[in-house]
Amino acid sequence: MNPTLPLRADARVAENRCEGGANHRLRLAIDGWPGARPGHFVMLSPGARGAAPRFDPLLPRPMAVYRTLPGAVPEIEVLYKATGRGTQLLAEARAGECVRVVGPLGVPFALPERGQRALLVGGGTGIASLYELASQARARGPVAVLLGARSAGDLMGADDFAALGVELRVATEDGSRGRRGLVTELLEAALAEPGPTAVVYACGPTPMMRRAGEIAAAHGARCEVSLENRMACGFGVCLGCAVPRADGTIALVCRDGPVFDAAAVGWANVP
Amino acid sequence: MSAVDTRVNLGGIALRNPVLTASGTFGYGGEFAPFFDLEQIGGIVAKSLTLEPRQGNLPPRIAETPAGMLNAIGLENVGVDAFIAEKLPALSAGVAVVASVFETEIDRYAEVCKRLTGAPKVVGLEINASCPHVKSGGIEFGQRAEVLAQLVRATRQATSLPLLVKLSPNVTDIREMAKVCEGEGADALSLVNTLQALDVDVATRRPVLRNVLGGLSGPAIRPVALRMVFQASRAVKLPICGIGGIMTAEDAVKFLICGASAVQVGTANYLNPMAALEVARGIAAYASAQGFARVADLVGSIELPR
Repeated sequence: MNPTLPLRADARVAENRCEGGANHRLRLAIDGWPGARPGHFVMLSPGARGAAPRFDPLLPRPMAVYRTLPGAVPEIEVLYKATGRGTQLLAEARAGECVRVVGPLGVPFALPERGQRALLVGGGTGIASLYELASQARARGPVAVLLGARSAGDLMGADDFAALGVELRVATEDGSRGRRGLVTELLEAALAEPGPTAVVYACGPTPMMRRAGEIAAAHGARCEVSLENRMACGFGVCLGCAVPRADGTIALVCRDGPVFDAAAVGWANVP
Repeated sequence: MSAVDTRVNLGGIALRNPVLTASGTFGYGGEFAPFFDLEQIGGIVAKSLTLEPRQGNLPPRIAETPAGMLNAIGLENVGVDAFIAEKLPALSAGVAVVASVFETEIDRYAEVCKRLTGAPKVVGLEINASCPHVKSGGIEFGQRAEVLAQLVRATRQATSLPLLVKLSPNVTDIREMAKVCEGEGADALSLVNTLQALDVDVATRRPVLRNVLGGLSGPAIRPVALRMVFQASRAVKLPICGIGGIMTAEDAVKFLICGASAVQVGTANYLNPMAALEVARGIAAYASAQGFARVADLVGSIELPR
């Protein structure tokens, strides 16, 4: 469960910049931000809130808290791709404008046991869920971050992970950076290496997370995934973000996740 | 701001102010505890309850549409017994709860009503008439006058609590349905539920919802809801609770002016968990600024062309 109570706040845009192509990085100053644990997310209004209320697009967008920057007014960073109407409007938000935030939300990742090797697998914007986890897992054992993207230009946050001093391996589908292929192939290779017990964390496209869970299970490793879904509220009332569990029951991504044990997910019906 | 009397009466339910939350958009209330004190709004209408717990539809269950959203959640809820045993006790004593009832057969509706009657904090029942009636081939209870009449009659007999009927807007003439409810002894009407709707993804040519059809809510439906509240309020004497895309106090005031005695804030709760509180405060501020001593004096105050 989430021990940190969420707040609703109008956050000030401290910085919002394009990092090439559709990739964007948003830094928000939030009075009273209670901090977040690795895997927590926020709901962000689709674009800045102007002088007059705007209700089209209507719904907030779920976004992982990429990292928290402590200070007199705490700041959080969010990485996103401007691909739809809501995120394109968000990309137009300028420093000083306000974005509505509800959070922190969700069930965070369980950190690795001491001495365990953490293998973090990120694809696309899924990378944004893994930075704080990489940072905190360092104190518990070796950490390797495996990042995947279509091409070098789509890759997000690689420099930040490198700056953390964790081992970084990259795969791109076109071979423009790192190994040519899928990030799940990097996971196969990493799990085949000798070393301490591994625990796998994956966030990215559904087929990637499903495959990561299968690979981890084949190696006897635990695997946590952070699921995405359409979501109207983020705190368990719209019931829109349902995902089936492996046992046939229904879970809510916002309330019961977004972090799930990969083996507990009913992948066949995950949209 | 001078003190405005914000109290209203909704079919025998005394409310401290005219703002309730719409069923299905507010969980069982406790989900909003981090955001505001629920005793500051008129009350809450909880997620619709069935006799047994229900799991609901497979995803995708929701989709965004222009100034609105589609949903087809299914009947997901904890069931009436768990609601009484677990959800009601979690709310503070001063929260007024209207329990919403949703079923597939009339006798099951009546049984849920019986179980809720006398439960602490439950000040009234709202019959959700937008459920597909299995025996009528899946048509909504609220879409056929004789079926609606049977439903209201049976639930009226099952409870002594104030009885609200939440009508489907998917009808030819809302006035006819309102009159049916009045004739069968309902105490108030809730207008409106979601509008039946559809959207399609052109990349896949698939419906955006797993259930194919869904219910449209949000600002997109507000003028339609306002029209139905206006028409119904002139056709029956029953008080009306206006629902449909209320995002701000100004939106809520429009419903009061058009004849609603109270309102429900629905979809707005998703994007702003403090929306209901802000609407309640904003209505009082509007009444004060306009020189109304009582919010109730706004009800039906529309100025029509002569």
